[in-house]
Amino acid sequence: MRAPAISIKGRAFGDRVLLALVILLSLVMVAPVLWVIGLSLKENAELMANPNSVFHAPYTLKNYVNTIGTSSVFVWVFNSIIVSGGLTLGTLILSSLAGYGFARLNFPGRNVLFVIVLFGLAVPEQAVLVARHQIFSMLNFHNTYHGLILPGLSASFGVFLMTQYFKAIPKELDEAAMLDNASRFRTFWKVLLPLTVPAQATLGIFTFLGAWNDYLWPLISATKKDMYTLTVGMASTQTNFAQSEGIGFLMAQAVFAGAPILIVYLFFQKYIVTAVSGAAVR
Amino acid sequence: MTADIEIRNVSKHFGAMTVLDDLSLFIKAREFIVFLGPSGCGKSTLLRMIAGLETVDTGEIAINNERIDHLPPGKRGIAMVFQSYALYPHMSVRDNMAFGLENIGMPRDLIDARIKESARILEMEHLLERKPGQLSGGQRQRVAIGRAIVKEPKAFLFDEPLSNLDAALRTRTRIELAQLHQRLQSTMIFVTHDQVEAMTLADRIVVMNNRKIEQIGSPMEIYDRPATKFVAGFVGAPAMNFVEAMLDRSSRNATARFADGIAVQTEIASDQTIDGKYTFGIRSEDVRIVPAGQGNADGVVDVLERLGERTLVYARLGDGQQIVGSDAGNSRVAVGDKVGLAFDGRKSHLFGETGRAWHAREV
Repeated sequence: MRAPAISIKGRAFGDRVLLALVILLSLVMVAPVLWVIGLSLKENAELMANPNSVFHAPYTLKNYVNTIGTSSVFVWVFNSIIVSGGLTLGTLILSSLAGYGFARLNFPGRNVLFVIVLFGLAVPEQAVLVARHQIFSMLNFHNTYHGLILPGLSASFGVFLMTQYFKAIPKELDEAAMLDNASRFRTFWKVLLPLTVPAQATLGIFTFLGAWNDYLWPLISATKKDMYTLTVGMASTQTNFAQSEGIGFLMAQAVFAGAPILIVYLFFQKYIVTAVSGAAVR
Repeated sequence: MTADIEIRNVSKHFGAMTVLDDLSLFIKAREFIVFLGPSGCGKSTLLRMIAGLETVDTGEIAINNERIDHLPPGKRGIAMVFQSYALYPHMSVRDNMAFGLENIGMPRDLIDARIKESARILEMEHLLERKPGQLSGGQRQRVAIGRAIVKEPKAFLFDEPLSNLDAALRTRTRIELAQLHQRLQSTMIFVTHDQVEAMTLADRIVVMNNRKIEQIGSPMEIYDRPATKFVAGFVGAPAMNFVEAMLDRSSRNATARFADGIAVQTEIASDQTIDGKYTFGIRSEDVRIVPAGQGNADGVVDVLERLGERTLVYARLGDGQQIVGSDAGNSRVAVGDKVGLAFDGRKSHLFGETGRAWHAREV
C-alpha cells in the first residue's frame, strides 16, 4: 500500500516543479509586454529622469490620449481592418476553392500546377518586390485597397493547407452527396466546406495576423498618409528622437497596435494552439 | 417502389488491370441478392457501377428495362449504405436524412413526414436531433439505413455495412436487415466477404472470384451443390475438405481413390464424369468420427474445436493430409487419438482440373 502513496507524493512534487517552470517561462515571455504597458503609462520626462520609475506611481493615460488624438490613427486602423479583413476573406475563399480543386477534381496538369503552387512557398517576398512594384505602378494600383490586398492573395500556404485538409475528408461523403442528388457546388458548399472550419480558422487567423503586422509592402504601396495601414502610420509618427524623447508615446502606440491581435488570440485561442501544434481539430 | 436490375456484359478496367470481365446478371424485383467473394474480386466495383460511382467501360446496366448507366448517381433512383456509413458529420440525423430530399426540391412537410415514418420503422425517433458523433456504431448504421429509406428508392445497395460492428451487434443488425427487407419488399443488393451474412440474408448469392461470377444460386444450392472448387472452398466454415484423387469409373457410380489407397464410393454417375485428374471434396459435417478401422480411413487427431452442439475434429491421414470431421458436442475424442473417418458418399463432390464440380444425383 505504501508504494502508491510514495508515487503520488512524488508525482505531486514533480507537478509543482513543472508548475514553477511554467510560471518562470511565462514571466520571461510576458515581461516585455508588461514592460511596454508600463512605459506607455508613464510621462516621458519621468522616464528620461529615471527608467525605474515605471515600477511606481504616478501613472497616466496621457500617451494614449495623445495617440488617439492623432486623428489619422482611426483612419489607419480602418485601413488595416479593410486590408487584413479583405485579405483574410479573399485568401479563405481562394484557398478553399483551389484546395477543393486540387484534392477532388481530376484535370490535366493538376500535379504540375500543385508543385508550382508549392514552389511559391519557397519564393521570398523580397525577390518579387521590385517587379511587383513596377507592375502595380503601371496598373495604378498603389495607394488603393486592392493594391494592398492583391499580393497577399497568392497564398501558397493556404492552398497547400486546404488541399491537404480536403484530401483528409473521406471521399465517401462526396459519393453519398452524389447519391443524394447534390450538385458538385452544393456538395462543396453544404457537405465539405463546413468540415474544413478548423482549417479555415487556422488559415484565417494566420492570414489576419500576418496582414495586420505586415509592414514592408504597405510601406511601398501606400505612400499617401490616408492609405497608411496601422503599422506604417505608427512608424511615420516616430521622430528621430522617439527613442529618447517619446518612449511613452511610442509604447502607447505599440499597445494600441497590438490590441486587436490580442483580441483575435483570445477568441481563437483553441485554433491557434491547434495550428501551432499541427494537430487537427475534429 | 421496387425494380428489377439487369447487368448485361459489363466490363471494367482500371488502367491495364481488368476488374470485371464481361459480366451478366439479372436481379429480380424484391430480391435480396448478395455479392460474395474475397477481397479484390470486383464485387464492390460492380455495386459502385450500379450506383453510378464508377463508370461502365463496356456493357449496360438497366433498371426496369431502362438503361441507367449513363445517368448520374442521384438520378438512378438508388440508395446506398456505405461501409463507413458516410454520414455528414456536421448535420443532425434529421438533416442527414433530409439532405437528399431537399436536393430534389421536395416540400418541407413531405420531407418531415418521410423522416418521421423512417425513424419510426427504425425506432430512432429519439436520435433525430443528434449529430453522428454523438451516436454509437449501431445507431450510425441505423441512421445510414434511414437515410436510404427516406428516399424510397427503387433498390437499396449495401457495401459491407456490417463490417464495422462488433460480433453481437452484427448478428442483431443482420436479423433487422432481413426483417426490413420483408417489410419494405424492395430490391436489395448486399456486398460482403462474410459467408454467414450471405447465407443468412440472401435470396440468391452471387459468388464472385477473379473478375467473374463463379455461381449464382440460393444459399443452400451454393452450399450443397457448389459449381466450382472455388465456391466449395469459399463457402462453408470450416472449408470443405479437398483430397487429390484418381477416379474409378468402372461401376455405375464413380469411386474416388486417394494416393494412399483409401477409396470412397460416391453417388456421382460415372458416365457423367470425364477422364483426368480430380479433387475429392467433402464437408466436415459429412465426415463422421468412428472408432479406428471402422471408417474409410484412419487418422490421428491434431486439433479439436468444441463448438457446443458439435465438435470439429482435425485428423491427419497417413500421408499427412488433414481432414476435418464432425463429432458430437460431447465427443470424448482427445488430441493424439487414432480415429476412423467415415465419408458420406452421398454428400461427396468431385472437382475436375478446371475447377468444375460434379455432385451426387439429386434425390
